[in-house]
Amino acid sequence: MTALVLCSLVFGVGLYVVLTRREIIAILAGVELMLGSANILLVALASFAGADGGVIGSVALAVLVVAAAEAAVGLALVVSLARRSKRSRVEELLEVKG
Amino acid sequence: MTLTILAFALSGLLMAGGAAVVALTRDLMRMVIGLGTFLLGVAGMFLFYGQAFLATAQVFVYVGGVLVLFVFAVMVVHRSSGGRPVLESRHDIGAAVIALGVSGMVILSLQDSVGGWLPASASGGAAIATELLGGHLVVFELLGALLLAALVAVLVIVGAGERR
Amino acid sequence: MTLLWGFLWGVAGMTVIAVGAILGVWWERKVAARIQMRYGPQQIGPFGSLQMIADVPKLLFKEDIIPDSADKPIFKYAPLFVFGPIAVSMVVIPFSAGWAPLNTSVGVLFFLAVPSIEVIAILLSAWASHNTLSTLGGIRATAQMISYEVPRSLAVLAIVLLAGSLRPLDVVDAWRWWWLPLTFIAFLIYFIASIAEMNRGPFDIPEAESELVAGYFADYSGMRWASFMMAEYGGMISASLFGAALFLGAGWPFTGALGVVALIVKTIALMTIVMWVKWTLPRLRQDHLMSFCWKVLTPLALVQLVIVGVVLPWL
Repeated sequence: MTALVLCSLVFGVGLYVVLTRREIIAILAGVELMLGSANILLVALASFAGADGGVIGSVALAVLVVAAAEAAVGLALVVSLARRSKRSRVEELLEVKG
Repeated sequence: MTLTILAFALSGLLMAGGAAVVALTRDLMRMVIGLGTFLLGVAGMFLFYGQAFLATAQVFVYVGGVLVLFVFAVMVVHRSSGGRPVLESRHDIGAAVIALGVSGMVILSLQDSVGGWLPASASGGAAIATELLGGHLVVFELLGALLLAALVAVLVIVGAGERR
Repeated sequence: MTLLWGFLWGVAGMTVIAVGAILGVWWERKVAARIQMRYGPQQIGPFGSLQMIADVPKLLFKEDIIPDSADKPIFKYAPLFVFGPIAVSMVVIPFSAGWAPLNTSVGVLFFLAVPSIEVIAILLSAWASHNTLSTLGGIRATAQMISYEVPRSLAVLAIVLLAGSLRPLDVVDAWRWWWLPLTFIAFLIYFIASIAEMNRGPFDIPEAESELVAGYFADYSGMRWASFMMAEYGGMISASLFGAALFLGAGWPFTGALGVVALIVKTIALMTIVMWVKWTLPRLRQDHLMSFCWKVLTPLALVQLVIVGVVLPWL
């Protein structure tokens, strides 16, 4: 139960970060918060349901890999965008043309 | 018994503390450090649930890889700012309500699926390997293909050096 | 009770690193001196062995300079995280058949994964100095370290494939003497990649004393600098110990306590080779370093894995 509350709250904090921060890198960090807490929630619930340790590990590993790949591509996009426009705050990026 | 409670408490504290720092700090590097703390807390939680391989993979991939990427991105994006890059936020009660609402929804919908303390099962890498290379081989291959695609995508997006 | 044991092992690990660093520096100065056709420290103590006892108080009494524009909390505490993971990773090394402080089921992966925390700490301490050359040195060091993690892990994977387990004592039990010629390429790759991981030897351009003025730890003085040095020597000791344990069969002809002695002898031999390489070869340029990793070591490691995979059904 504690794990459920903790992970849900951290998920909420991640959502809050995505909604309020104005810097893209911070928003990506918030996405990582959400993915990490969701992964733990998955492992916790699956352990409670009595699933086999190997299956839980495989699914959690898949989530971990996908999240890491997505973070890498997201950061590459940020770097490429910032190189062109020299801006990284969300409101300024909305006005980038071309 | 108390050792496991201590481990759970420490990991939970790292997760929550790291998340709080990411949400509230005004300095970009502190935020990255907060993210690192959160990721270490997640690794501890994996260990608590008996997934030793996953905990080690979490440290290797996230703390040693993705976090380094974050710091590199901060260094590249804010190279011209000179001083310490400042992080602003639009703290907003509406966003807080939404976040709290989503958390509440998750808790309420899942509260019947959880029991007491737990867990007894500890699995090393062998069980995961049997699963991934046995029944779920397609998943394993797809993950490899995804990583390759991500690698190529990053190289294409970032390109070969700067255009001056 | 186990918490107490863990604490004692932690203290033992820190002591091993501290003593190892002191003895290692003395040994390195002697080896370097002989290679450069001179004698090393000889005044203080027999063969200059007490030289470090004179040097350490000097380091402790140095003025603690913190640059004005530095990020003070990170500047103060990041060096701790550079040195800490090395000490922690030493706890899974199997010293001999049946002697391993922490015999987890993922011990080998633990040893490879924990030093990656050191990488982020180096990057943060380079950032905290807040001057361009330090940041540049830190970026180079980090790029080098994360690149060389790949061939290192692939080389260790060859041994894990033969042993069939990530548990350190299982690997030691399964080791046979003819694994050494079979995995010799992997041993070489592990050795070279470990030297590069620690920013040592011909791969030390980030801390190049003649070019970047000690690079990313230019602004760190006294005991802070010493923690970077201890991380380097501790890394060298732990990489040599682990290499001897996995590739040379920890304490092979003997078991038990005599096996631990045999392991230490093998480790000292490996460490001497590391020092020999440092003082003989010129420094590699950064792009040569990176292309060596990705274009030479990684394909070779994959070739080694193919060799092991082909031989495996006959074992």
